[in-house]
Amino acid sequence: MKAIIAATIIGVIMMFASILSNNKSGIVSLATVLFFFLFGINIWEVYESINATGVAAPAYLNNMMSLDSFAIWFSMLMSGCALLYILLLGKEIAKVGKHVGEYFALIAFIMVGIYLLAGYSNMLMLFIGIEILSIPQYILAGSDKRNLKSTEASLKYFLMGSFSTGILLMGIAMLYGATGSFDIINFRMLQTDALNPLALSGILFLIIGLGFKVSAAPMHMWTPDVYDGSPTPFTAFMSTIVKAGVFVAFLRLFHASFGNLTNHWMMIVAVITATTLFIGNITAVFQQSVKRMLAYSSIAQAGFMLFAILSVNATAWQGIVIYAVAYSVATIGMFAVLIKLKDYTYDGFNGLAKKEPALAFFTTIFLMSLAGIPLTGGFMAKYFVLLAAVQQGQVMWLVIFALIMAAVSVYYYFKVIIAMYFKTGEAELNHEVTGYDKLMLGITCLLVILIGLMPQLLLNL
Amino acid sequence: MTMTNLVYLIPLFPLIGFLINGIGWRTIPKSVGGLIGSITVLASFVVSLGIFFEVKSTGASSTIVLFDFIQSGKLNIPFAFQVDSLSVTFLLIITGIGFLIHVYSTSYMHEDEGMVKYFAYLNLFIFSMLLLVLGANYLVMFIGWEGVGLCSYLLIGFWFKNRDYTNAAKKAFIMNRIGDLGFLIGMLLILFHFGTLSYQDFFGQLKSGATANPSMYNWIAICLFIGAMGKSAQIPLYTWLPDAMAGPTPVSALIHAATMVTAGIYMIARSSALYNLAPDALTFVAWIGCITALIAATIAIKQYDIKKVLAYSTVSQLGFMFMALGMGAYTTAVFHVMTHAFFKALLFLGSGSVIHAMGGEQDIRKMGGLGKKMKVTQITFLIGCLAIAGIPGFSGFFSKDEILAATFEHNKAIYALGLFGAMMTAFYMFRLYTLTFTGTFRGTHDQEHHLHESPAAMTFPLIILAILSVFGGYIGLPAVISETHTLRNFLSTSVSNIAHEEMAHNTEWMLLGISTAIAVVFSIIGVAVHRKPNFVANTGLSKVFENKWYVDELYDTIIVRPLNALSDMLDRFVEKMGIDGIVNGIGKLVRFGGDRVRLLQTGQVGFYIFVMVIGITILFALSFFWIR
Repeated sequence: MKAIIAATIIGVIMMFASILSNNKSGIVSLATVLFFFLFGINIWEVYESINATGVAAPAYLNNMMSLDSFAIWFSMLMSGCALLYILLLGKEIAKVGKHVGEYFALIAFIMVGIYLLAGYSNMLMLFIGIEILSIPQYILAGSDKRNLKSTEASLKYFLMGSFSTGILLMGIAMLYGATGSFDIINFRMLQTDALNPLALSGILFLIIGLGFKVSAAPMHMWTPDVYDGSPTPFTAFMSTIVKAGVFVAFLRLFHASFGNLTNHWMMIVAVITATTLFIGNITAVFQQSVKRMLAYSSIAQAGFMLFAILSVNATAWQGIVIYAVAYSVATIGMFAVLIKLKDYTYDGFNGLAKKEPALAFFTTIFLMSLAGIPLTGGFMAKYFVLLAAVQQGQVMWLVIFALIMAAVSVYYYFKVIIAMYFKTGEAELNHEVTGYDKLMLGITCLLVILIGLMPQLLLNL
Repeated sequence: MTMTNLVYLIPLFPLIGFLINGIGWRTIPKSVGGLIGSITVLASFVVSLGIFFEVKSTGASSTIVLFDFIQSGKLNIPFAFQVDSLSVTFLLIITGIGFLIHVYSTSYMHEDEGMVKYFAYLNLFIFSMLLLVLGANYLVMFIGWEGVGLCSYLLIGFWFKNRDYTNAAKKAFIMNRIGDLGFLIGMLLILFHFGTLSYQDFFGQLKSGATANPSMYNWIAICLFIGAMGKSAQIPLYTWLPDAMAGPTPVSALIHAATMVTAGIYMIARSSALYNLAPDALTFVAWIGCITALIAATIAIKQYDIKKVLAYSTVSQLGFMFMALGMGAYTTAVFHVMTHAFFKALLFLGSGSVIHAMGGEQDIRKMGGLGKKMKVTQITFLIGCLAIAGIPGFSGFFSKDEILAATFEHNKAIYALGLFGAMMTAFYMFRLYTLTFTGTFRGTHDQEHHLHESPAAMTFPLIILAILSVFGGYIGLPAVISETHTLRNFLSTSVSNIAHEEMAHNTEWMLLGISTAIAVVFSIIGVAVHRKPNFVANTGLSKVFENKWYVDELYDTIIVRPLNALSDMLDRFVEKMGIDGIVNGIGKLVRFGGDRVRLLQTGQVGFYIFVMVIGITILFALSFFWIR
């Protein structure tokens, strides 16, 4: 709860800072300090929850929040990722437009949404969390106001987001109709063998509403346009930390409330997973722009995270944590490199290895992690979610399909590596890569490898 | 704290040497690289010596587990070392001779660019060879087995800019791989039938009369022997060894004469408990050894390359060792391994000294009279020849006589053929000696001018090895001379020979007499015939010998060419059209699909929502009508 309050206050402080000061770099520094502070508060909360073993998870807001140890741990990891994001891309965020403080305020509010989604125990909180998390994104997507593409992205995101919110609300309403309650624990009373059609429709609508937020096919159509059109620093944020937050909400609801009803919804999720994997990977192959490729790859990676949803077991929880962090760290790193380049197409990477060997090396590690090559975090992430599905045992065909699709993904990720190392050309940079950049990217790289070597570090629940 | 517990140090030292030299081979100065290489092996030798005395005094055999290597279900293969009389004997041979050859190499390779790299390989070889003999189960042995194969490949092709040398390296590697397959199948059979690879468990089960089908013993034994055929260059897998002389001469001495090629002997001696239960396999081993000994000897008679003669003589001597194994006289084979290691290393190093002096020339037709300029080399080489020919008093006499005595007892036919082989051995060795060191010089004037004795780092090992070649035989005196056979007694704790009756003393004296007569007579003939060399083109059988029975050509025709044709066909049809077609087809399909799916992304929000609604409808339909 402290983190939720702190993040809200940080949002407010940043808004005032924006009014009071025009000094961009000052505001970035302030934001960095505040996010450090936020991370510290998260760690404090984790510390508290470790000391309070055996005590029931504290409930807040009329029992609408249940901040169990998982919620606190996951919030802490996400704050860490957000801190890394600001350290890596803070300067770039300041370059997007005039209202720098407000961008950071919006990011802080999104963090509030993520914390709510990690620990909600009531459908109203789920809905509020989703909205707190979505609305700032609509604004961030359109923050480069003079750019038509950015504005278009914002509008598209808003229109489609509203549509999906409607569906989500409808699902919540139907479940309320079936059970007379908003509490996710009460949904467990739904009959397994003769499921009320109202409840089933509610579950399906929830799958669709949440599937939209995590860009699962066929609700993924907004993703490439929005991610491509938004200012690159915000794409990095939206496609990683935010998505991970929604996934945890998704996981919590379906495992806690509908875990006993898997025969009603698991096949549907499996079909969605297959479609997502297929569309994400196959379409990514054909992209010319690395940024757009990363948008499709985020759809493809969501396909893997969906495995955690459909395997109702403990490994799935571990899998989602590792996946969320490994994927976020590698993608943020990848975007941090991408943003340095003038040309976002594959050709823009030509010859980068000669010009900036360190940068090229880091990029290689990030891409290998995204492709799931062993010794990187991405491998462990894929391993854990697929292991969960194998343990679950009903969707082996999907696991095999996913492995094939992972092989396809190597094609488009490695195209970047080939461009950097084996093609000749003058990769043009926007500006010099500073020692600070290299240091931060190096740390990110180390994190990627550390997760690959010791994924247990992330599971210290 | 006993020495035996320090056994891990023995392979550790060369490994460290390998790592240092291997990582820093571009920067480490040559002399330092040579020093590191030699010192590490010397350290291993010292530790081996300590363990040797301990094993000698206690007679104990112990297994030292370093760590769990493979643990999966019921299968448990630890990374363990076996310390007993057999492994200690080999440890001493490997590290002792290995050290001398390292010292020799510091001088021999001094002018080579990649000297430090060479020492790194050499240390890696010693490390692998030590693993091979120290392993307490077949898997660790196999790791070493593959390691020495790799090092052999690297060192044969050490001067990789020469195409022939790299081909020789490939040949060695591939032939060994064929043998390794046999070894691997044998190992898997053991694992399948006995559920273990550890010597202790496996031999224990054999001794307690395990349940496996007796014919299975023969199969396992033959599979393991196929591995030995590859590594120890027996028919039909021997042709790689003569070609392996492409490597630097010290390598030929160490790997392709003294140590690696005896790995097959070690393996069979180690598995004596198995072979004792597999009489058919033993007969097979004996005959293969016998035929190899003869054929290689005939080839050696007509070779003109000094190293080729020695190479074929090695193949032939290995054949003798397998004959002994086939008689169930495992300790005899180990005895010959040991004496052979002394005199063959000596001969190779001597030939290296000659080649060094001749500026790289290896053709004995262009030598002659070298003795005048290179006294030490000449004398030590002569000692080597006397030893290998089996002149009484020298080490080879005792070990070879023991082999012949064993064959006389069990199989008279093999005895007769073996005697014939011994005869040829004496003849071709003295042919080699006479042509090289006596008479007048037949090379160019420049070469004659350049002739010189090699430096001390090269002659020192020669002298040591010469001493060993003389006295090394006294640890295994025949029964008529000495009551106790030191080596056999020592080995009896780890190797069980097939029991044999004591031979009557007069029979034994007779055999000794026959061997001595043959060795002396044919040595003299060998010298006499070649005193005034007359090199004419060979005809008839000699030509067949000179051309190595056309075995290389035969293999080329019946194996290599059909295989190439098959590969070519597979490449053209299955690979290019079939597999490439499928793989590229999938790629094309993905690209095509991607291209189509991409078009869905129109950018129209209305269309997006339309797609979404269609999707929702399908999901609902699936959910309500299909899944129920």
